Amino acid sequence: MPKMNLSHFEAAFLFSLFASVVLGIVTKKTDRDRLYYGAYCFGCFIVSLFAIGWVMKLGHG
Amino acid sequence: MATKEIIPDKPQMAPINVWAAPVLIGWIVPGGGHFFLKRPGRGALLLISITLMFSLGLMMRGMMFTPQSGDLLTTVINYGGFIGDLASGALYLMATMFGYSQPDMAGAVHDYGTKFLVTAGLLNILAMVDAYEIAAERKD
Repeated sequence: MPKMNLSHFEAAFLFSLFASVVLGIVTKKTDRDRLYYGAYCFGCFIVSLFAIGWVMKLGHG
Repeated sequence: MATKEIIPDKPQMAPINVWAAPVLIGWIVPGGGHFFLKRPGRGALLLISITLMFSLGLMMRGMMFTPQSGDLLTTVINYGGFIGDLASGALYLMATMFGYSQPDMAGAVHDYGTKFLVTAGLLNILAMVDAYEIAAERKD
């Protein structure tokens, strides 16, 4: 099994992508709504990722 | 004049023979319940997403939880993590059978790997619930 070393951003990006795909599929009833909701979840993950990253950077001093 | 408010009845649970097969297949193979119910597009997306998440967790040398008891926090974390890992079905069973179960190691990447493994199982639980709803005709 190859060993993989991902950065924090890469790991969080992939996590967001896969989780958003599944959340989009299981929560909505039409394909259009699934696509929009998946994209919305992914956007929220990425915005939160940057926001929390900046909070930690500024909080750390 | 007072009018009676009509409260819709709580939906009855579908008979077990309707949903047991898709839910069980969905546990064993992520997205398998959707394939069984003739939703191959959604099944393929679930299969790819959950399998990739689990595989990345293994490649990052994430830890597989084992049921351990101790103080309350230890018990909740280990049993909860074990249930999350087990929910990945065949992926978890094959990984432990072929010796890919890793001990806990210090490091951010390993920690991400552990979260990827557990989250793959939790996402598979969502997929199983979706398969149940399709089988019970609550959803298309």
